[in-house]
Amino acid sequence: MKTGPNTLFLFTVMIATLTSGRAAAQNAGSGSGYPGPKDGLTDQEHRGQGLYRRYCVGCHGARGDGNGENAPYLDPKPRDFTQATFKCRSTPTGSLPLDSDLYDTISRGIHASGMPSWNPLTPEQRHELIAYIKTFSPRFREEQPGAPLPIPPEPPTSAESAKRGAELFQSMNCWSCHGKDGRGHGPSAMTLTDSKGYPITPFDLTSGTRFKCGASDRELFRDLMTGLDGTPMPSFADALKPDQIWDLVHYIQTIREGSKSASVENRTERKGN
Amino acid sequence: MKKRYQAIATLLALCLVGLQAARAGSPANDAPTATSARVTGVVKFEGIVPKAIHINMAADPSCARQHPNGAASEDIVADSSGGLENVFVFISDGLGDRAFDPPQKPAVIEQKGCMYEPHVVAMQAHQKLDVVNADSTTHNIHPLPNNNREWNKSQPPGLPIEETFPREEVAIPVKCNVHPWMRSYIAVFKHPYFAVTGKDGSFDLKDLPPGTYTLEAWHEKLGTAIQKVTIGPSETKTVQFVFKGRPGA
Amino acid sequence: MRIGRMGRIAAHALLLGMVAMASRPAHAIPAFARKYGLPCSACHEAWPKLNNFGQTFKDGGYQLNNDRDAPIYQNPSYWPIAMRITPNWHLEGNSRVTTDAVPGDPESGQVQSTINTHGFDLSGIDILTGGTLAKNISFLLVPSIEADTGTVSFESAWVRLDNLLQSPWLNFKFGKFELDVPISEKRILTLSTNGGFYQLYHFLPPGDVTPTSMGDNQLGIELLGHSPDDHTRYALSLLSSTDGELGLPGGRSYDGYIHVSHAFDLPSLGLQRVGAYGYVGQAPTFFLTTGGVPIPGSGRGNRSFYRAGAYVNFYAGSFDFTGIYQHASDNAFLANAQAADQTLPNGAQSPVWNTGTIEAHYTYSPQLVFIGRYELVRISRQALATTPGDFGNLDAVTVGYRYYPFMHSRAGLAWHQEVSSVRSKLTSDTGQDQRSTSVFMGFDFAF
Repeated sequence: MKTGPNTLFLFTVMIATLTSGRAAAQNAGSGSGYPGPKDGLTDQEHRGQGLYRRYCVGCHGARGDGNGENAPYLDPKPRDFTQATFKCRSTPTGSLPLDSDLYDTISRGIHASGMPSWNPLTPEQRHELIAYIKTFSPRFREEQPGAPLPIPPEPPTSAESAKRGAELFQSMNCWSCHGKDGRGHGPSAMTLTDSKGYPITPFDLTSGTRFKCGASDRELFRDLMTGLDGTPMPSFADALKPDQIWDLVHYIQTIREGSKSASVENRTERKGN
Repeated sequence: MKKRYQAIATLLALCLVGLQAARAGSPANDAPTATSARVTGVVKFEGIVPKAIHINMAADPSCARQHPNGAASEDIVADSSGGLENVFVFISDGLGDRAFDPPQKPAVIEQKGCMYEPHVVAMQAHQKLDVVNADSTTHNIHPLPNNNREWNKSQPPGLPIEETFPREEVAIPVKCNVHPWMRSYIAVFKHPYFAVTGKDGSFDLKDLPPGTYTLEAWHEKLGTAIQKVTIGPSETKTVQFVFKGRPGA
Repeated sequence: MRIGRMGRIAAHALLLGMVAMASRPAHAIPAFARKYGLPCSACHEAWPKLNNFGQTFKDGGYQLNNDRDAPIYQNPSYWPIAMRITPNWHLEGNSRVTTDAVPGDPESGQVQSTINTHGFDLSGIDILTGGTLAKNISFLLVPSIEADTGTVSFESAWVRLDNLLQSPWLNFKFGKFELDVPISEKRILTLSTNGGFYQLYHFLPPGDVTPTSMGDNQLGIELLGHSPDDHTRYALSLLSSTDGELGLPGGRSYDGYIHVSHAFDLPSLGLQRVGAYGYVGQAPTFFLTTGGVPIPGSGRGNRSFYRAGAYVNFYAGSFDFTGIYQHASDNAFLANAQAADQTLPNGAQSPVWNTGTIEAHYTYSPQLVFIGRYELVRISRQALATTPGDFGNLDAVTVGYRYYPFMHSRAGLAWHQEVSSVRSKLTSDTGQDQRSTSVFMGFDFAF
């Protein structure tokens, strides 16, 4: 095998590529972004801008206002970053999210929406995107995010806890949107809009699918504490004690699981017919 | 010798004060003074007042119980002589960049009979807002601002909620998503020169510094009307705004 | 003898070229961009090359996994169809072509000429339909209209059961599909006659008749799995030994393919991937005959061949670099086109060769990409011991760029310019090196 000089050549090309690539590594990762004028952005924001234009602009729009070229075809509508209002947060209602909240949303995606999981982007790229997204609203310069609401350890699930949760589901008027059976057909359901005036449907708690901001009990607890800003879902942080919120969580989980076994029964029934 | 310097200094100081006084005509540098300049007036509705929409509260019996005779929407409320209620009247321009401390006394919005009481609230930026739930049902109070932060809180009976809005905004729609018929507006001003018209459509803006102002009236359904007004010290001017109903309304 | 052999080589080279033109890239599907509202650049580093987001989407069964993948969520007017074609101008030059001194008179003696030709042309049309039939059931169907004959062939046609047992590690594909190769020939960024394919997948030593080309779509089944972040991937394929041709295999045999890779993130550089693969196959060397005519499907004397390689795919910011080393060998009967029930000529042996492929991209922006490739093939053991050691060795260089004037979710357009040149050692009839050159420019579009 007479590849001596060629092996050398190969090696040289490899080293040259890597070195020059490292020097020019303005957009690290698998999927480089657009170069562009810096316009007062930091290096990180600038890289984020390049990536934003590669990945996000189709829905969220060049100005970050949620009016990308595909926004008219999407339901729910893409987030308007200029409002700095975010559903999935660990911070109290009305306050800005932590970077880690935005990172979780980008990584997880928003279930049952057009927003996919951006896990395939490197962590660095996701942080760059967050840095850039925050430049769309002056609030991120003027305000600090609120302190994350604490999530105390989950008490054991019990029938009593779920029963208390069912009572709270009644007394806190959860049913007026989510329906007495949790199917999202409450009396107010048809009237709901998000904060930009687009119709929005309450979550069908029986669907058994993932919640928008994560599927775990802790995430559900957090959603009840923070509310989903920009939607009709309020915060219960002032209204309920942590134990009561856990009761609600336990009740909601029984609705979900009950529906799972019920739908299995339905299927069997249909087969029998 | 020393005395002469003092005299010159005094003279200079006097000149400065004089300059200051001379410039007082332009309100930009005028500290809020307790002059009694005043703009009063009335907001009229011309045309046929649209019939209030009946609200069906059957979805929440605890609400329905409080309105044995049925409830009606408060979109356009005018008295027999056309006095239009629930209009924000305020100075939208002419105060320059004066800063005003918010009043100590909080503004209050009450949820009563599954309606907002008062129907609209005017307040100053950074002023406290007390949200009261006087009902026996759980509400959620959900302001939908453009210029302030949006928040949304569940409020069971009796729980006090205290909030504030840091930026001027006319006007922030407020919803209770649980009870979709509930709708209010909160107007936030960076100065204290605002009023909400009463049942007879009257308003009264007191203690204004003399100057030329743009006076604005804002109604949730009828929109905005603007007038210019110039008032001297201790002067009182009367202004009338007229909103016309839509033809056939 | 020598000339006959050279004629075969020339014919083979021609065939190779035709295959390369016919099997031009297929997979770039604006139908997906339309479905999800994402710009092309979200999934394509530079269309049609995928980035990690696009690769994860593909590996997930054409699903973003946000519960909006199944057709039930689509507007009924949405039709998952896209087409791709490339109107182009190209030049082909071949050196040291044996030419009759007087055209039409084979007795007039032979000279060596350089033949250049150029003109306007079209690629074939690929009609791409793909997506999900239901949640976790995906499909791809690519009828392709050949540029030269206008006949329709089935480039791809498969169904895949995704995320079996709710695990990304188990996905089962059935049909005709592209193997999970280290660098996709269907997503190649070069399109010319000489540069539009990888020597890596298609090279055979002169005279070798083994019917295999890993880069082409194959018929069979595939088990593919990956970690949730798609960093670790494996693919196992069982294929009919037909090299993707429809119909049953001549020799009732199957080929196997395996590919394993792992990627890791290097901060400030990007995702780096290393992997290894192997392909083992069999092909018949003769057929039963009736009246001297081969009976289809009666292939006998199966002999084997293999390809094995390892590769790296490095990212360094806007640069990415792929290096592939492959070791290959064919059985002596296949390599000498000899039926296995006959005796091999003297000195016949199994040829062994190695290929090195280096491809680098500089993605200035999602709308402009520069491409450079160098491939070398070195035969370490010739099919006949008497053949000169470096006979048939190749060096192929391709450079080009693609410029995408706009970047939307509805359609894709690229202005493409490319130059490619291949030198083959000692392959002219006079025993000298030959060079084959392509210049290509055109509009590559899909909608």
